[in-house]
Amino acid sequence: MSAETEASSAGPPETDDGTEPRPPFMVMFGRYLTEANSVMVTVYSLLMAFVIGAILLIVSDDAVRGTWSYFFSRPTDALSASWDVVSSAYVSLFEGAVLNFNTLDRFAAGTADFGDILRPISETLTNATPLVLTGLAVGLAFRAGLFNIGAQGQLILGMLGALVIGFTIDAPAIVHLPLAVLAGAIAGAAFGAIPGLLKAQTGAHEVISSIMLNNIAALFLVWAISTEFLHSETRSELVTRPVNDSAVLPRLLGPLGAHLRVNAALLLAFAAAILVWWLLSRSTFGYRIRAVGFNEHASATAGMHIGRTYTTTMGVSGALAGLAGAALALGVGSGGVTTNTALEYGFDGITVALLGRANPGGIVAAALLFGALKAGALSAQPAVPVDISTLLQATIVLFIAAPALVKALLRLRTPRGGLVTLEAKGW
Amino acid sequence: MAVATAAIEPETRARRRHPKAGIAYVVLGIALAAAALAVVGPGRETTFALDRTIGDAQWTVPTRTTVTVLALLAALAGGWLLAGMRRGLYRLVSTIALAALVIGLITWAVARPGVVFPVEAVLAGSLFLSLPFIFGALSGVVCERSGVINIGIEGQFLMGAFAGVFVANIADNPYAGMLGAMIAGALSTMLLALLATKYQVNQVVVGVILNLLALGFTGFMYDQLKTTGGYNSPYGVASNALDGIGLGFLSGIPVVGPVLFDQNIFVYIGLFLVFAIWFALFHTRWGLRTRSVGEHPAAADSMGVNVNRLRFWNVTAAGLISGFGGAFFTIANSLAFNKNMTAGLGFVALAVMIVGRWNPLGALAGALIFGFTTQIADYLDAMGGSPVPGPFLQMLPYAVTLVVVAGLIGRAKAPAADGVPYNPGDQ
Repeated sequence: MSAETEASSAGPPETDDGTEPRPPFMVMFGRYLTEANSVMVTVYSLLMAFVIGAILLIVSDDAVRGTWSYFFSRPTDALSASWDVVSSAYVSLFEGAVLNFNTLDRFAAGTADFGDILRPISETLTNATPLVLTGLAVGLAFRAGLFNIGAQGQLILGMLGALVIGFTIDAPAIVHLPLAVLAGAIAGAAFGAIPGLLKAQTGAHEVISSIMLNNIAALFLVWAISTEFLHSETRSELVTRPVNDSAVLPRLLGPLGAHLRVNAALLLAFAAAILVWWLLSRSTFGYRIRAVGFNEHASATAGMHIGRTYTTTMGVSGALAGLAGAALALGVGSGGVTTNTALEYGFDGITVALLGRANPGGIVAAALLFGALKAGALSAQPAVPVDISTLLQATIVLFIAAPALVKALLRLRTPRGGLVTLEAKGW
Repeated sequence: MAVATAAIEPETRARRRHPKAGIAYVVLGIALAAAALAVVGPGRETTFALDRTIGDAQWTVPTRTTVTVLALLAALAGGWLLAGMRRGLYRLVSTIALAALVIGLITWAVARPGVVFPVEAVLAGSLFLSLPFIFGALSGVVCERSGVINIGIEGQFLMGAFAGVFVANIADNPYAGMLGAMIAGALSTMLLALLATKYQVNQVVVGVILNLLALGFTGFMYDQLKTTGGYNSPYGVASNALDGIGLGFLSGIPVVGPVLFDQNIFVYIGLFLVFAIWFALFHTRWGLRTRSVGEHPAAADSMGVNVNRLRFWNVTAAGLISGFGGAFFTIANSLAFNKNMTAGLGFVALAVMIVGRWNPLGALAGALIFGFTTQIADYLDAMGGSPVPGPFLQMLPYAVTLVVVAGLIGRAKAPAADGVPYNPGDQ
């Protein structure tokens, strides 16, 4: 309703510049809504993914499926049971990610403090931090036409690099912390440069080589944790020593509550996003990346070194993923790193980069969304399967990657500039 | 000019040098021989046994002499390659050199008192473990020969593995599960086929997203079924498939018996498919059309082939194969489904396809190499006491993939139109 009043306030169409009369705002807005431009494709992708998630929640629930079997005699049963299961799942995702109404009630009653209310947000930001970095890693490579699936492996190496510097060196935090973060970035960069180098030297496709390196890194982590050098001295399970206090990333909301885990790595991630933006849009290196991504043959003709660009781009991309690893290793605090610390942040970086369309700003937004999904799913389990976040992410980006599919399913119109898609090259 | 070529040609045709391979074999052979002479004590012995057929047929050989002789054989073969040889011999000599090196290394690795190397079990296991690579690579061959990159084999494996167990539980029959796995695989490639042909989406990107989707979907369903109970009990098929049709006696033949005639039905289906698809691709009308669509779709189109329709159905049919390959992980091994149980083998299958140069017979050879590598790594890991830590042994298939892809892809040529969407209007 309010939109309509807004439309009338937009006034009659103005024709003073002699071109076609500008249609009323509502018509323009309606046209925008039914057009397959990148904003609306994103919105519809999100909506459709949540609808598909809802259908799966209904179908996979035994009790609800039972009520559907007598749908035609008592449809209200099936509908209300389905509504219950879907709404409770999505509400608990929301409560784990943004705001828990229970805590709000307790806060009003005086049994919870302000920190408790901030907790879901803190979890979302904590989960979003590595996603921003891995998303930037994948997104940067995308701009050069490279598909870096190896962020997971680069993250693991970065984690190990930061960890080793984190507990071997004794120095004041002002020196120690940057050094440990740097070690993570370097380890990630070295590991990330391998697929780029292989592609440049032998033509091996970076998707396959980086997947293999992911597996190798995961197994290496298992071995590394079990070595005497890294393994915890006090605990028997597979966990490493903790980093020294001087290398622990300070918590941003520490004074408000001990359980607010979000730490300085978030600022690092935002800084990295700005840096990548600057790199891509203002620097020679970024220009080269984009040129090679647009057309490698033309770039080669213009005198650019394609192979070197592949290697350096993958190196920088690996450094970003390595930073994500450093953020994890230096953020876990008193506990050490386990084989589970890395979760799937590297793979999630792919979906983040696709949703963010390989733009730093978009990546930050996408990382916040997927961080929220992840935080929600982690806090909502076991009532809701934790993989719902992976499922929703994959469904969202499937639609994002296939705007033509969204356009056809919803009968949208083609925007003037054509559909926006992301490119990665074949063999 | 003509005179010069005439003078050179007979010489090059008769003898050809292979300096790179030759030097590699000579260096490796001499290094292995020197290492064996320096490190292995004179008293150490290696015992081989035909464990399945003639249990007491054991051969004990002195380790040092055997390894040295095999290593020198490899060096000799390398020397021959350096000196030059008749053209057709290169492959044979190279195979001999590699086999000598590998057998030498194994002889060394298992040379411990009390350890009897079970030749038949290892060979039979190699064939069995090569199955996922066979099915995955065949699926990839069918897709890529028709011009669509199928990077989602991993996801089809997961879908097949899950659907296999799920359907087998519902129908209480493993064969129904195998059928269900095929259908699940075909449904996932149908999505890829639709996006690749009708919506012309980037196939590498969509393939990776489909993997994530399969990972999320199967993980979600796994959790959901775990809470609601049931549908994930292991189902297996009889291990000796030939017994049922009265050919069980063949399994008594030494070496060949256990390897070829005492196997799971999956092995026979896999071997049959290799030859069937090879024949279909190179000796039928369908094969000619498929290959032409993958090499030069415009030419095929002008000859009246409906490019996108053929691609669509070929890719969908390929999903039947990779879905069936997914059933290997659960039904062939009599295991329940577990999250991400395919552990990246779908991508290894992709590498096998490249090693096999997009040819089913080549893919079989590649798959056997990978199956053997995996089996040897498993065996050494289980034997224990190996100087190489377990995780490094488990890295072996991935490391071999990396080396092979880096070493071969430059020379192996993909179908010309692989991964390029075909839009009849563009031509």
